Amino acid sequence: MKSETRFQLLVPAAALTLSLLAGYAASQPASNTLALPESFASVSDTGARSVAMFTELGKVLTHPRCVNCHPAGDSPRQGEVGHLHQPPVTRGVDGHGSVTMRCPICHQKANFEPGRVPGHPEWHLAPRSMAWEGKTLREICEQIKDPARNGNRKVEELIHHIGEDTLVGWAWAPGFGRQPAPGTQKIAGALVAAWVETGAACPAK
Amino acid sequence: MRPSRREFVKWVTASGIALSLSRLEAAEEPGFWARQTLPGRQGWNPAATGVGRIDGVAKVTGAKLYASDYRAADLPGWPAKTAHAILVRAPDATHVYTGMDLARLTGALKPTVVVTAADLVRAGTRVPEFYAGDLFCPVGRTPIYLGQPVALLLFEEFDAYDQARLKIRDGGFVRFAEETGAVVMPDFGAFRFTRVAGPTPEAPDVYSPVLAGWVSPGKFQNAERPIWTPLAIETGAAYAKAATYGGQIRTELAADNPNLLMLDREFETQSVDPMFLEPETGLAWFDSRREVLELVLGSQSPYEAAEALAYMLGQARSPFKPAAIKNLFAYMGGGFGGRDHTPFPLYVALAGIFLPGRPVRLAQDRYQQFQGGIKRHAFKMRTRIGVDRTTGKISGFAADHVLDGGGLANFSSSVATVAAVAAIGIYDIPKVDVTTVALHSRGVTAGSMRCYGTLQTITALETIIDEAAAALRLDPIEFRRRNALKTGGKTMTGNTYLDSVRTPEILDKLERHPIWQQRAVHKARGQQGGIAVGTGLACTNKNYGTGADCSLGRVEIDPQGRIAIHGDHTDMGNGIGTALANRVAAHLGGVADAVTVHDIESYAPLALVTSGNPYTMNQATQDAAGKNPRWVPEISSATAASNGAHVGTHAAAEAARVIFRFGLWPAALDLWGIAPTHPTARQWEAARWQDGQLVMPGLAPLPLSRIAAKVYARNGVTGAMAHAFSRWGWSRATFPVGGQTNAGQSWTADIDALAVRKGGGKYARIDRSNVKFPPTDNNRIGTVYSAMCATLMRVEIVRASGALRIAKAYSVLECGKALVPDIVLGQAQGGFAMGVGYTLLEHLPPYEGGPGNGEWNLGRYVVARGSDLPLHDLEIEILPPVRPDEPPKGIAEVVVKPVVPALLNAIFDATGRRFQSLPVTQDMLKGALA
Amino acid sequence: MTALTITINGRVVGPVDVRDELTMNDFLREHLGMTGTKFGCGAAQCLSCAIIVDNPDGTSHTSPTCVVSAVSFNGQKVRTVEGHAKNGELSALQKAFVDHFAFQCGYCTAGFLNEGQVLLERLAKTPVARTDLEKVVAEALDGHLCRCTGYIKYHEAVRDVILADAPRYLAKA
Repeated sequence: MKSETRFQLLVPAAALTLSLLAGYAASQPASNTLALPESFASVSDTGARSVAMFTELGKVLTHPRCVNCHPAGDSPRQGEVGHLHQPPVTRGVDGHGSVTMRCPICHQKANFEPGRVPGHPEWHLAPRSMAWEGKTLREICEQIKDPARNGNRKVEELIHHIGEDTLVGWAWAPGFGRQPAPGTQKIAGALVAAWVETGAACPAK
Repeated sequence: MRPSRREFVKWVTASGIALSLSRLEAAEEPGFWARQTLPGRQGWNPAATGVGRIDGVAKVTGAKLYASDYRAADLPGWPAKTAHAILVRAPDATHVYTGMDLARLTGALKPTVVVTAADLVRAGTRVPEFYAGDLFCPVGRTPIYLGQPVALLLFEEFDAYDQARLKIRDGGFVRFAEETGAVVMPDFGAFRFTRVAGPTPEAPDVYSPVLAGWVSPGKFQNAERPIWTPLAIETGAAYAKAATYGGQIRTELAADNPNLLMLDREFETQSVDPMFLEPETGLAWFDSRREVLELVLGSQSPYEAAEALAYMLGQARSPFKPAAIKNLFAYMGGGFGGRDHTPFPLYVALAGIFLPGRPVRLAQDRYQQFQGGIKRHAFKMRTRIGVDRTTGKISGFAADHVLDGGGLANFSSSVATVAAVAAIGIYDIPKVDVTTVALHSRGVTAGSMRCYGTLQTITALETIIDEAAAALRLDPIEFRRRNALKTGGKTMTGNTYLDSVRTPEILDKLERHPIWQQRAVHKARGQQGGIAVGTGLACTNKNYGTGADCSLGRVEIDPQGRIAIHGDHTDMGNGIGTALANRVAAHLGGVADAVTVHDIESYAPLALVTSGNPYTMNQATQDAAGKNPRWVPEISSATAASNGAHVGTHAAAEAARVIFRFGLWPAALDLWGIAPTHPTARQWEAARWQDGQLVMPGLAPLPLSRIAAKVYARNGVTGAMAHAFSRWGWSRATFPVGGQTNAGQSWTADIDALAVRKGGGKYARIDRSNVKFPPTDNNRIGTVYSAMCATLMRVEIVRASGALRIAKAYSVLECGKALVPDIVLGQAQGGFAMGVGYTLLEHLPPYEGGPGNGEWNLGRYVVARGSDLPLHDLEIEILPPVRPDEPPKGIAEVVVKPVVPALLNAIFDATGRRFQSLPVTQDMLKGALA
Repeated sequence: MTALTITINGRVVGPVDVRDELTMNDFLREHLGMTGTKFGCGAAQCLSCAIIVDNPDGTSHTSPTCVVSAVSFNGQKVRTVEGHAKNGELSALQKAFVDHFAFQCGYCTAGFLNEGQVLLERLAKTPVARTDLEKVVAEALDGHLCRCTGYIKYHEAVRDVILADAPRYLAKA
């Protein structure tokens, strides 16, 4: 299991405009870091700050650990490049697998390192309504706020879901051979909270 | 069958180590050979009524059969506890190896013994030439290939081993220092095959490999690559001649000739893994008290493995040298060539030698199997074909092949030649020039894998043929018909085929098939909707036999008429045991119920000796050696090159014929009251078996059991063992079987050694009175034996995603006499699946990103599943033999070959794109249709 | 370490102390010598290692043994290939595999047998329409890899066992 390195990003006090944010994200030396909400304090416009934080959260949401189980189709994906899950499996009726290949048969209550198989008691596919694969950040943002598509959650409930749910938390301790999601679940949760507080604004695209 | 007493069967190798087999163990525990002798007399024999294989019951009940099933406790006489070994491999081949991080393995996890290169030096082991290269990379050297072993770790306790393997697999255990780049080594072999036909088909060739011999180019100083042009200083006159003719052929192809269609295409294929389901595994016990090393192994080449082991340890210092090695060869969970001549048995033996007194198991997991197992060669090919626009006849062909042989030489040189000779497939081309070179690289070792290089070259051929037909607006089947080699026509090496050439029938079958007839309708259907539809075909052949094939067989009948068979060929799924039983049944009237395969040792009474290399010896040497009635060009060979049916069953069939002629037939005459001098007595070839009874016109049918009892009563021949050798034709010898009492009775057959047993007595060798071995000049032949298979298929590709579905497929093949038709059918179905995987799914990147890094497993490597195949839409047709007594041909490889180009040609028909490399992935198809 | 008790083919095994990280595959093959269950990949990709788990509610499912710990089967009832034949009499599925020449090297056969057997038992409880049969068989077996056969004869064998006893396995037309 990889040890997690945490980077505290020190953002210059100089004003950051929206247009610089893309360059900012791309210029970070390691892609597995997550900026703290505080680091966006210099973005004075609330809406812009909200979007900036969601964009940062987007690094988690679009990370393979998350997208692989929020696929567009009926089969999960695997690995860093998101190839189709091998062996081939489908969501079945309830997202927990077909009759003959139920997810928990292989994916046990925790990662099983001798077999290098990831695990969690609730291992299953996200419903189709929560598919993110191939979507833009804006589309994901709108979807994640939409109670019709987000499991009937109020936007505040996303703070717990992303920040504390243990299946989501697996993404940060995925076992050998899988890159963890950026940062930590705690930081991700803090970003969600701060995003909600600032009006849960969605990026333009 | 349980032998009633210990039989130690010994032969002594050049290194002085006795290779022997103890064939009976204690009565309570079924011994190894008892488990491997199937079906065994206690249970049901499905093969007796043709409703299953002799190993059928064993395999559906989970019986201990495979090398990976055995532990020490399963082997009578062995200490009960099994120790376990890890073979550590280098995941890097561009840095200096400095050692292992053994500090990770402390306390209970500490290995009992660590074996490294230094220990092998100390022990005085040798590397057999076939496996030249350090068995362990020494500290301070750069590994010569990714996955080269560096050490064995031996653990007395399973728990220690199980925990240790988890500690060392996550990277960094094998340590490296400065970067040196890859180790450069000479190529493994380069050849040029050139043929210029005479003015008419009957006229002798102007130049051919059969006439002139095989040639290889020279090198310039220490350059890596050969020089193909005929520079006389470096290459020699023989090569220069071939190269001059070859150069002319290429000049003609390149000439600006409006009447010549010339296509110049490149094609690249990928490295793939045989992916047999049972990883390589072995068990070794060095009983240092008796100085006997016993091994359980699974190998397609048991005799070669035994010899390699004897050589490796032949000059070892005490206490590392055994006085005797006992090899127990088991059924295999798949092979496909990947278990033929692999270095794995050497490491099993080393594990045993270095933990004396303790049985040790060496089992690769799948990561390790990917890392260290033999692969199929990646080929880069350039092919040029010239076709006369007026006649539609191919006038010239030139190709250049470059093979990536990976780290060890293994079979690379041989694969290159077989692939080159097969490069013109089923066609008759009067001017051919092919160059081929197999290179060393730091990649994983490539060697024998089903089709042996010819899958790659046939893919390049059958796609360029398709393109040529289209360019000339000729029907693809008609184009093939026009250019097909006829019976009696000369192959690329300049010889003819000895067996049937059935191209016209096969092409007719393709042409008449509904898939072909309806291709336009379906293609049109595809043009309107979201799917693209295409139909494609390919027609291929493959040699069976290697040019130095051996067969050992031993057959016995008991007083009740029950039959036992021993054979030296091996079962990796190919069903050799059932084929043996069926072929022998044709002569003896009953299906054997005790068949022992992978048996290289039960023929001691033949007292065979051998010397030299059958592929390279000259005629004078062979003639002189053959004067010794016990000398044969080679004793036993691998089960490979589709040689199971034709070769693997041959000696047993010949042994059965001897039993019939000199045991059952005289007994039958006796029962019929026919005197030996009566004319009927000579008509033994007219007798037929029907439902277990011997039938002769005008005589009462005799049940086998009655005849068998009579044979014993009159002390007739009840058992025979024979050896046969084929160098594109069987050795043939005469044996004075009658001995002194029947002075006129001699027996001439396609065997070169024979021993018989009378009644319940011992075997006695009958020295041959003369022998004709196939001439050594036959080594210039590419092949004389060939089987054909063609495939036709229709594919549907979803435009939006590139997902391909094979809607319908048809494969038609010919195999002479099918010894077990259901197994032939199964081979064709399995070959289809392997072809699909190779074309669409399977891929191993070369070098650092590939399996040599130890990180590859299934999931990342994708083989065909049921959902990838047309399970209910694959029709296989097996043509009947051309005549009732046509011998069996080998088809295990040819059934893969047409699938790949047929699929590519169908993809072209659907998309308009000719892909020049494999695999063709879904993404590539999506791109082609976008 | 955990004290492990499992019922295998009707026989109670244990309690025996095993390491928590010991795979079920190693428990069967190394500790019990039951090598009918095979090891193919160690990554739940091939299912050569699959055994039958009999659930308390009367249903059964197959499970790989290579990526799951032995202790995760504690207290459970499982069946392996060695348990299919009763008193030397092969099951209908085993006989069909033999007479259909369904396998070649046979290394994947135990997994296919277990999967086929679970399918038969499931259909006996909830039959399917004849028109769905091929699809149902294909879905059940698709997780199992075979490198020798191309799968066709395996599918035909399973299908034919069902067709031979249609009243039991297939829904009334």
